[in-house]
Amino acid sequence: MAGSATIPHRIRRRTGADLLRIACLGVFVIFVLVPLYWMVITSIKPTSDYLAVPPVWFPAEPTIVHYTAALFSYRGLDGLLNSLIVASAATVLSTVLGTLMAYSMARFGTGGQHLAFWVLSQRFLPPVAIVLPLFLLFRSWHLYDTHVGLIIVYTFITLPLSVWMMYAYFRQLPRSLEDAALVDGLSRWQALWMVAVPLAAPGIAAAAVFVFVAVWTEFFFALVLTSRHAFTLPTVFRAFLGFQGAQYGEACALATTSLVPSIALGILVQRHLVRGLTLGALRG
Amino acid sequence: MLHIAPLSLAGEGLAETPGPRRMTQLIGSSRLPAAVPRPRARLSAWAERHFKWLIVLPAALLILALSIYPLLFSLWVVFVNYDFDIPGHDFVGLQNLSDVVSDPNARSALALTAVLSVVNVAIEFVLGLVLALAMVKTFRGRGIVMSILIVPLFISPVIVGQSWALFLQRPFGPADYVLGAMLGHPVTISWLTESPWYYISIVIADVWQWTPFMFVVLLAGLAAIPPHLYEAAELDGLSTRMTFFYITVPQLAPVILLAITFRLLDAVRLFDVIFMMTGGGPGTATYTASYYLYQVGFQQFHLGVATAGSWIFLVLLSVVIMVLVRRLLRAEKS
Repeated sequence: MAGSATIPHRIRRRTGADLLRIACLGVFVIFVLVPLYWMVITSIKPTSDYLAVPPVWFPAEPTIVHYTAALFSYRGLDGLLNSLIVASAATVLSTVLGTLMAYSMARFGTGGQHLAFWVLSQRFLPPVAIVLPLFLLFRSWHLYDTHVGLIIVYTFITLPLSVWMMYAYFRQLPRSLEDAALVDGLSRWQALWMVAVPLAAPGIAAAAVFVFVAVWTEFFFALVLTSRHAFTLPTVFRAFLGFQGAQYGEACALATTSLVPSIALGILVQRHLVRGLTLGALRG
Repeated sequence: MLHIAPLSLAGEGLAETPGPRRMTQLIGSSRLPAAVPRPRARLSAWAERHFKWLIVLPAALLILALSIYPLLFSLWVVFVNYDFDIPGHDFVGLQNLSDVVSDPNARSALALTAVLSVVNVAIEFVLGLVLALAMVKTFRGRGIVMSILIVPLFISPVIVGQSWALFLQRPFGPADYVLGAMLGHPVTISWLTESPWYYISIVIADVWQWTPFMFVVLLAGLAAIPPHLYEAAELDGLSTRMTFFYITVPQLAPVILLAITFRLLDAVRLFDVIFMMTGGGPGTATYTASYYLYQVGFQQFHLGVATAGSWIFLVLLSVVIMVLVRRLLRAEKS
């Protein structure tokens, strides 16, 4: 009797909770998608649709004219190439240097707790605290507005990410294979490159993607340390500030171009997202 | 499985390598003097002995060069005249520091940074927790919803600021029209120039971008709570609300602390969204600490004053970091 009374009650409550859940997720999904949709749609809108009331949610005559203008008239293509060069180089450097350091920390406890936390603390150093002296230093060393200068800075700011992600990864890998390799007469260097690195390849790839995305989306250092030559894609958006005139579609076209690679990469490494966001402190 | 691995460094065995490795070291070193003392062999033996330091060195040197040097250099700049308007670097004592402290713009920028950071992180935490609770059970289409929810994390804050500015601002943006249609009367809000709407616009953009961070981290924490705790709670007849407060919250506490620490330390840097959406305006109403220092240093070129300000900011921030990280470690130990 009591059982038959509780069961329908429960079913009703669960469906109520389910509805609430769907509503929450639905609202947030719309919240996430709406500005993105508006941006992508605006990038293919003819100029005459900009100010239309009611707003045009899908243009009758889509156009790619804003893409060509953004890439060629506003030097978007140069920014894109600079971003590719700088992000690729910094990704390789940061991942290699970070993997080496992380390996030493994980296998030999090098530097102990102090080294690990010193590296982590760099992650929390506000850029505005070091950018001024770097700006002055770069000017006197002719690194200002160069790819090399930007690559060095980006390698530095992403090292805490690559070191800590790989540190967490190496710690969960068994060391017995490397020990066997050492017994077989391999040097430590060989044991690292021929045994540990191949084993850690998935972790290294994930760390590399997070480094790449971090550099691809960075704005502040690029704003201060570059001007007419080595400027990256995010800094090109300065040209559209204020939105006077007809630059509305160009800004959206460039934004759409910029976010396609980083979103694609991000969804690719979704599985490692928790480790990437918390620098390996938390495993998903 | 959830595992807050590296934060528990202290108690871990960081002792030298055990058994087999040490043996090969011994064999190696005892064999060495007997071998032909070629320089190449001696070099590789030396590299082998110092291997663990050699592979740390490149990264450590780079971090040293790019953090310690700028900080020390800027410590000197704090006490000298370093201004593009005035030639020379004369010692000025505490002048730069007092210039910042007495600047009302600096104080309001700092206050706004604190308020915006707390408000942003609080909203992001609540929304992230709600989303994580909604996503913790599997359902059809969960993978697609997950992929959509994490998209903002991979977009440059510059683009986030720009696309929200486009979406909200009159007369281009559809926000007022949509709101008007929903409310049944015309809405004419100037989202980026009218108080308090510019604050709200900034919060919307920040919440849009960073709620997914809270959501992803808290979801990992929720998924790691052992299911037997919930089974026990159900057997004991705990209500949904009691289960949440007596099991979910305490179990999630270390992850909550971690998520809030990481997020808060990024939130205080708020710059890109301000740069794109309001440009600090109207007037100086939306100056954050980073934006103020950028303006003083790189638009007005009072580098000494900006450096002094960035040191004050850094010291204040270190206090926050110390408190939060110490709590994080304590939560980890217990």
